Amino acid sequence: MFNTYRRGLFITAFLAAPVTLYLVYVISPYAQAFYIAMTDWRGVTATPNFVGLDNFVRLFSDGVFWKAVTHNAALLVLLPLVTIVIALFFAFLLNVGSEGRGVGGVAGSKFYRVLFFFPQVLAVTVVAVLFQQVFRPDGSGMLNGPLMALGARPVGFLSDPDVAFWSVLGVMVWQAVGFYVVLFSAGLASIPRDMFEAAQIDGAGRVSLFFRITLPLLWDTVQVAWVYLGILAMDVFAIVWVMTDQHGGPDFSTTVMATEIYRNAFQHFRFGYASALGVVMFFFTIGFAILSLRLSRRERIEY
Amino acid sequence: MTSWTVANSRKLARQETRRRLGPMAMLSHLALLLWTVLTLVPILWTFLASVKSEDEIFGDAWSLPATLRWDNFARAWEQAHIGQYMLNSVVVVTFSTFGTMLCGAMAAYVLARYSFRGNRAVYLLFVSGLAFPVYLALTPLFFVVQNMGNVPLVGPFIGLNTHAGLVLVYIAYSMPFTVFFLAAFFRTLPTAVGEAAMVDGASHTRVFFQIMLPMARPGLVSITIFNILGQWNQYQLPLVLLQERDKWVLTQGIADISTAAGYDSDWAALFAALTLAILPMLVVYTIFQRQIQSGLTMGALK
Amino acid sequence: MTNTPHHITRRALLRAAAIAPVAGALAACATPQSQAPASSAAPLATSAANPFGVDAKKPLEVWIFDGGFGDAYATDIHQPLFKTKYPDAAIKHNVTKEITKVLQPRFAGGNPPDVIDNSGANAMDLGALAQDGQLQDLTPMLDAPSWDDPAVKVRDILDPAVVEFGTYDGKFSVLGYVNYIHGIWYSQKVFRDNGWTVPTTWDEFLKLCETIKKSGKMAPFTYAGKHPQYLYEPLLTMAAKIGGNEVLVNIDNLEDGAWSSEPMKTAATAWAEVGAKYLMEGTAGLDHVQTQTAQNKYQVAMLPSGSWLENEQKTTTPDDFEYGMFPIPDFTASDKMPHGTLHTQPGESFIVPSKGANPQGGMEYLRAMLSKKAAGDFSELVRTVSVVKGAGEGRELSPGAKSATAAIAAAGANTVYYRWRTWYAQLHDEAVAATGQLMSGGVTPEEYVQRLQKKADEIKNDSSIKKYKR
Repeated sequence: MFNTYRRGLFITAFLAAPVTLYLVYVISPYAQAFYIAMTDWRGVTATPNFVGLDNFVRLFSDGVFWKAVTHNAALLVLLPLVTIVIALFFAFLLNVGSEGRGVGGVAGSKFYRVLFFFPQVLAVTVVAVLFQQVFRPDGSGMLNGPLMALGARPVGFLSDPDVAFWSVLGVMVWQAVGFYVVLFSAGLASIPRDMFEAAQIDGAGRVSLFFRITLPLLWDTVQVAWVYLGILAMDVFAIVWVMTDQHGGPDFSTTVMATEIYRNAFQHFRFGYASALGVVMFFFTIGFAILSLRLSRRERIEY
Repeated sequence: MTSWTVANSRKLARQETRRRLGPMAMLSHLALLLWTVLTLVPILWTFLASVKSEDEIFGDAWSLPATLRWDNFARAWEQAHIGQYMLNSVVVVTFSTFGTMLCGAMAAYVLARYSFRGNRAVYLLFVSGLAFPVYLALTPLFFVVQNMGNVPLVGPFIGLNTHAGLVLVYIAYSMPFTVFFLAAFFRTLPTAVGEAAMVDGASHTRVFFQIMLPMARPGLVSITIFNILGQWNQYQLPLVLLQERDKWVLTQGIADISTAAGYDSDWAALFAALTLAILPMLVVYTIFQRQIQSGLTMGALK
Repeated sequence: MTNTPHHITRRALLRAAAIAPVAGALAACATPQSQAPASSAAPLATSAANPFGVDAKKPLEVWIFDGGFGDAYATDIHQPLFKTKYPDAAIKHNVTKEITKVLQPRFAGGNPPDVIDNSGANAMDLGALAQDGQLQDLTPMLDAPSWDDPAVKVRDILDPAVVEFGTYDGKFSVLGYVNYIHGIWYSQKVFRDNGWTVPTTWDEFLKLCETIKKSGKMAPFTYAGKHPQYLYEPLLTMAAKIGGNEVLVNIDNLEDGAWSSEPMKTAATAWAEVGAKYLMEGTAGLDHVQTQTAQNKYQVAMLPSGSWLENEQKTTTPDDFEYGMFPIPDFTASDKMPHGTLHTQPGESFIVPSKGANPQGGMEYLRAMLSKKAAGDFSELVRTVSVVKGAGEGRELSPGAKSATAAIAAAGANTVYYRWRTWYAQLHDEAVAATGQLMSGGVTPEEYVQRLQKKADEIKNDSSIKKYKR
């Protein structure tokens, strides 16, 4: 009896602080956001008017927001795809792609692994400001300088609406690859060596080694990577807000859901409307979570 | 004779290798080298620009500075307050990561190892947070924190523009991730040791702190690293919650210099500030790279 | 590694996704709460010397936008002057480049500061503040005796445009302190050395661009490509010059077809040609500082800007640069408005929040700012034109300020302005995006005006956006 009491006390004591913090700082703001989404609140008044679903009706014809949604969608496909392909390629080279007999990484693989990871430890805002300079449109830009020296016309990495989105994607890939190289390397390390060696003895080249052994066995890790990168693509904010011209421009060519929420809330002072956008983003995120879990529900390869 | 055979067979083996994988190996080295360049060059270029003069920065991108302008760093450190912001970041992240790990481990442990009514509900409440976009909560969160400032006694310490307030917010927003992974980790630990200790009369609390936590060390380390990186890089929450300049964290400082360069046109200081923000991270990372890499991947693969 | 954690991942995330909205609904009872106004203490008794009933001991919190003018004018001129009368009032001086980020939450929380210089690219939306009654009605200040002379009201020493501009919902609540004069800026030295003359007609302007381009010495024209509002300004001024002031009035009033009017199309076409032929390379990706610095380095001849330019560039301008400005050239001889027509508007918007702790002190601070000495010292320090009549008299003016002062004297009553930029933030965003595209050839002039017309119509039909008229 006393033990049960002690046990209950322990459970309560251990949960009290985390649950309280979580309810106060996380759950209650989200709950309020759902209510604010149905008001015309402009952020400076104490008494917002309830307007029902007006904000949601309005956002259906908000061209800029839907443009932002398509950018998130494009990132959702491209960011994981490009990052995973590059990271898999390097992870394979670093772990299995050795020369000659036996299975190991190429020379200096440890060095590369450390180095590729560098961008990951930098704050996103730092990366954004850094690339703002790298992408400068004139001869003082890290990329345009050499281009112009070669006689080419400078590329408007951030100022050409047809290019800017790709610059954003490029920077995101640049920052992400290192982490996934390391992640996949760890995945590869858990695959028994003799599987590769057996395949090599059977005369498998590196390409078939990759597709027949590495990829199937890493499939689970790839799925994890896909979900992580997908969330990154849905949540992207700082890179766009800090790096691009006009916070998501030029001409809204790089804007994403999060920047539109921020813009509407903190620049246009339409907190009600911004919250409605947030609610939509919320359901998109949840939709993505459900979808990716459904799709990834396939048999694991046991070894 | 013997040495000749060995040498010769090595040579043959090498020739064999070159014949089969030569061009491929070359290509893979080339690819790796290319990415190395892509990774390093923007960072090194920033370092280079940080010792240039204003004119040189606006001139040819790849020219070398005539003299090394270390005063850029002095300006970044003093006028742009990079030192202050970095210290703020360190203070906030130290406390918030510690708090996150303590609260997260406590909650995760109870949820993973004890069955009681409502366990599932509490667990799901935490984990559901993984799917919330923080932007939705931003505005109301501001008011929540502001209202916390009116709580008697502790209010002034945890309201807006306080580091303690930000620490609490960081802890709360790190809960979903931390509880989710640590609970999974605690479930995998053997139960026998803890049970034996309980039979010997150890309290639940003692079992947790003296037996379970040490056993969970690998998991704790990896989640700690994740949280440090995540909280160090956080921009959105401090942007809203810390508005007084002297309270700012590093990410705010850097973003501000970038905006400020639009008025003060002190680009040299911007590059110096960037360098100051980048270098320590790279140094710390390089020192702990083994732990960080294994910790990160472990967390991710769990 | 076991499989367990991974399986939990899936199930848990699914459940999590399902339960989240429920959790939200549960806690939905909470709403944004706002504190009661901090301490809007009633004013003390008023008198001629103390027209607002300022409590001489109450602290005053001042926020200055740290932009082209810096903040030395506040700490070295305005605040010492205020202190001479109220030595016991502690002034808490703050600067920021991001007014909105820092101060919006203070408004929302009911404890805004007492005086704000609401300026810069990240200024607060005055319309939203006015709509919510956050701005102190400054009419009493207009009718109060001026700082220097009790016989003269503050209203009578101000440029009348200030009152018109600062009036929201019938209440004068925003004090523009500087007279911004927009035009095309150049180096008088460069023009003199090369024998180039200031163009008075659009044809001359285009010819000059051609001459400069052919000379190979520098690019003819640039603008802050990252912030295309620097270009829609001369475009709109030109439209007003061609079609008369009502072009801008109609745009401000969201009249049907205001953006797609003929003068707008003509002006858009004219500037698109400049965009296609005469821009400095890389213009689209450069900001105002970068382009202005390029001009200081003699890489480009002309750019559109305002009278704050000279001060903003003071550290990079060569000593013999000699800033000068000229008004938008005549498009044709049949322009509705004469040569010399200028876009002027009061800028550096100072506000006194009504829910601050010390609005009386705030108003008194503004009254001190409008004294002849404060305004004159200010003009001299930041090389610009103040809204206080005669404040520049007998002062040593810099070349650019001199040039702008001469231009405004020549313009006389032919000045124009627009207000939609601050009234409708969404329209501003759209105009910025579209103007960038116009200049880089992404849209035709026709598409440009249609696109802005569409946005204006959307705003007109959106009941949630408050409308203004002029």
